Amino acid sequence: MKYEIVCGIETHIELATRTKIFCGCTTEFGGEPNTHCCPVCTGQPGSLPILNQKVVEYAIKAGLALNCKINTKSHMDRKNYVYPDLPKAYQISQYDEPLCEKGYIELDSGKRIGITRIHIEEDAGKLVHEKGFTFIDYNRSGVPLIEIVSEPDISSAEEAKEYAEKLQLIMRYIGISDCKMQEGSMRCDVNLSLRKPGDPNFGVRTEIKNINSLTFIQKAVMAEAERQADILDAGGTVVQQTMRYDEKTNSVAPMRDKESSEDYRYFPDPDVLRFCIDDAKVEEIRASLPELPFDKLKRYVNELGLSDATARQISRYRKVAEFFEGALAEGAGVKNAANLIVGTIFSNMNTEEEKELFDIRISPAQFAALVKLADDKKINIGVAQATLQKMLESGKPVEEFIKPEDLVGISDGELERLCREAIEANPRAVADVRSGKDKAINVMFGYIMRKTGGKADIRKAEALLRKLIGQ
Amino acid sequence: MRAGISELAGRLRNREISSVELTRAYIDAIEKLNPTLNAYVHLTFDTALEAAEQADRMLAEGDAPVLCGIPMALKDNICTDGLPTTCCSKILTGFKPYYDATVWEKLKRQGAVLLGKTNMDEFAMGSTSETSFYGAPLNPRNPEYVTGGSSGGSAAAVCANLAVYSLGSDTGGSIRQPASFCGVVGLKPTYGAVSRYGLIAYGSSLDQIGPLTSSVRDAAIVFDAIKGVDKRDQTSVDFDYGPSLVESLDRDIAGMRIGVAEEFFDGINPEIEASIGKAIALLEKNGARIENIRIPALKIALPVYYIIACAEASSNLGRYDGIRYGYRTPSYTSIDEMIVKTRSEGFGDEVKRRIMLGTYVLSSGYYDAYYKKACLIREEIIREFDAVFEKCDVLVAPTAPNTAFPLNYKGASPVEIYLSDICTVPVNIAGVPAISVPCGEDSRGLPIGMQIIGRKFDEATVLQAAHFYEQAAGKVIGDYKGGAAI
Amino acid sequence: MAISKTEIEKLARLARLSFSDEELERFTAEFDEIIEFANTINQSIEGGTEQIRSVGARMVSFDELRPDEVAPSLPNEKILSNVEGYNGFFSLERSRK
Repeated sequence: MKYEIVCGIETHIELATRTKIFCGCTTEFGGEPNTHCCPVCTGQPGSLPILNQKVVEYAIKAGLALNCKINTKSHMDRKNYVYPDLPKAYQISQYDEPLCEKGYIELDSGKRIGITRIHIEEDAGKLVHEKGFTFIDYNRSGVPLIEIVSEPDISSAEEAKEYAEKLQLIMRYIGISDCKMQEGSMRCDVNLSLRKPGDPNFGVRTEIKNINSLTFIQKAVMAEAERQADILDAGGTVVQQTMRYDEKTNSVAPMRDKESSEDYRYFPDPDVLRFCIDDAKVEEIRASLPELPFDKLKRYVNELGLSDATARQISRYRKVAEFFEGALAEGAGVKNAANLIVGTIFSNMNTEEEKELFDIRISPAQFAALVKLADDKKINIGVAQATLQKMLESGKPVEEFIKPEDLVGISDGELERLCREAIEANPRAVADVRSGKDKAINVMFGYIMRKTGGKADIRKAEALLRKLIGQ
Repeated sequence: MRAGISELAGRLRNREISSVELTRAYIDAIEKLNPTLNAYVHLTFDTALEAAEQADRMLAEGDAPVLCGIPMALKDNICTDGLPTTCCSKILTGFKPYYDATVWEKLKRQGAVLLGKTNMDEFAMGSTSETSFYGAPLNPRNPEYVTGGSSGGSAAAVCANLAVYSLGSDTGGSIRQPASFCGVVGLKPTYGAVSRYGLIAYGSSLDQIGPLTSSVRDAAIVFDAIKGVDKRDQTSVDFDYGPSLVESLDRDIAGMRIGVAEEFFDGINPEIEASIGKAIALLEKNGARIENIRIPALKIALPVYYIIACAEASSNLGRYDGIRYGYRTPSYTSIDEMIVKTRSEGFGDEVKRRIMLGTYVLSSGYYDAYYKKACLIREEIIREFDAVFEKCDVLVAPTAPNTAFPLNYKGASPVEIYLSDICTVPVNIAGVPAISVPCGEDSRGLPIGMQIIGRKFDEATVLQAAHFYEQAAGKVIGDYKGGAAI
Repeated sequence: MAISKTEIEKLARLARLSFSDEELERFTAEFDEIIEFANTINQSIEGGTEQIRSVGARMVSFDELRPDEVAPSLPNEKILSNVEGYNGFFSLERSRK
């Protein structure tokens, strides 16, 4: 590779607290304009900020989940700049004493992307430009954000996407944000520069904004890396500036919007007292964190023996994982439980949201009851799947659908008789199997399944059929 | 002597006078005198009479708080729901907050009767009240002189008996200095003793709201009513002052250790020095022990104050851009231009100077040398005050190095005016309480004020010392004849 | 000269203030004096190298912070009561004669 990519990502995440960071207004999305407001979040003269405890707690959760060191003493700073969506003409943020520092995220390859810092700050309002007017809605003003800054350890577009994906997964897992890029609850800005391999110095870097999905992160990194490479190849120098990613043309162009060279004149906000948290409280918060997705994934693969793909599908969603583990605790077998979840249950859920929510009508115990029947081979997989579907639709337990009589297996003798019957009834298929068209055996299976109402043990049947056909 | 709060409260309860009658008397006086004195900039007579009627009902029911039915005034930077609050600035023309400052909420609940909002230096930046958009208030003691600032209107209103008491704000001396120029009592409480919610901010780490009154007892009564922790102001402190500071006012000062720091007397007018000296002698005669102390850091308290206050102000005033409230420039070609023009047309010169200084000391490259350094020196000043209060119960100092300036005094540059804050700003930097009480007059008949400074949250001792002095000294300045006929 | 005209113009830009030429002349002189005044803190005690964290002496503990409980917001009419809103929004004409 001619140039090395040196990339860091700054992520802003909206915290899912009930109230804004400095006032008791709701953070609920939507709502008529300027109906979730008060003197504090609209910057009225005489108003004062009052810090929300949950915001600090959630930020610490994020820091712990990202292996950061937590600063037990912290304060807020004012970042001064002028823009109509910023009612006080300053944003209360953190400059030199962020709440969390020096953590990392581990990629699948084992490579660690460093997390420089995590700090808390307030969001601004929303501007709408229309017919010669600018309209302002301050409902979003004051919504709490954490800003997560990575070290420039990312060296490829794929890594960039993976970093953001994992970040999103973790934040959702610990329940502090729904991290939806399209809705703006997670915003990523990419910083990128190039250098020749082996060169210890950093090249000039640009910042890319307006990236609205994980895929676009990957594309934006590629587009900008190419753009910079072209400049360097031609002997030119990269200009340090803020860029805007355009989805439609998959290109990056300079952004002329905000003044990026504004002097923010940071100073400690005199209205917000310095705050501290004791180590015992930090440990309490740490203890309240769920097992994180990658630890789960490792455990599922290494200890439970699931395939990587299946393990990923289940561990990705906290509620699914909890359901799965709950069923295992009730005695369900690993393989069947996992397959029924990613097969039947997931076939009822088309979107990420549904899997995140995992709103199903049966409990882990009820699911386990069904799974155990399949484990014990009292019913076969096909029956299990169909029954599960009925359970999901009705919310009724397995006993409603599978009566004890149904569980009586087909005796071996009965099975042999049926096999012979199947062979007699389907001479063409038998001939096909003998001549090498092995798939024709399905015809016999179908016959036997029809005759037994799906209750036959397919593997036994297969063994018998082959023996008989071979004769 | 003029009727103070307690006496009026007594008359109200004895039915000698009703709150409505009392309010009308003040309204008449304001209508007569305010056109000249310009102490009030917004009048609220209609709501005042409504409040007075309500207060009379509360009084009839019995058990009404002491401030019930008493007519008063608020400085124009204290938010009053539905009533004009403009900081005497063009940029807040027409602004009516839809929320009350906590102090006003408390007083309203007690049945206070608000006559109007008083004149002040624009955004509380100044020491003469001449930077007001509505023109300067005149010193009732001598209308050719200033009232002092920035709570000049509040001081003038109390001096001229156009209000029984008023609230002002003090960031670098803005209650105490006008109190001393007008010959009334002014108390700046400990930082955090009174909620700042609803006080339009100037220097957030220095601002405090406090009473201007005609007696120390009245200052104690009003402070009792407005103090207290407020969950809407995180910087307010939950300090247990006990049931009432009024009840503990009378105290023999024998043995009280009074510190006198020479740094406070550096370069002050000799008449003032003599007057304060006389007051100190009186206290000593009554048993107080005078301690000569040093507070070396006071020498640079002034630039420290201006750097910190202006830095905070430059940030606090960023929000005035014509978008959500106040004045908006009528013509412009872009939103950015609208903002620049609105601010340039809406702010007066002194405000602009302070915003620029604040921007400068926070800007990249200068932050360490100015703002950060000033904050470190501030901590040193606090340490020196702490050390001094190990040896002393209170400090006595002049309130100002001079008496009132003549109006429109062209000689003074901005910095010269800043220098006149030398006695008051250290108190704000340290966050301690201080009161100014009249202690004499100069040869022109202008009042001289003495400052009594105490430990944090020790308003009790400050008020006791001030009250004792007031009682012992007797009449130190001439009576003001005029104002409400009650 | 403690401060140049260019620096003053930069500050004015940050503060969103504009000055006429005549105002700028007058202002520069006054401001110069003010900066000299501010510079007097340099003849003082040597400050330490610590970062300043906050001007308040008090620190508040995590437990004392505000609980995350919704308080009713104010009605839209109040929020807009000091301007002419539009359909509930704050409205700003982008240019106006």
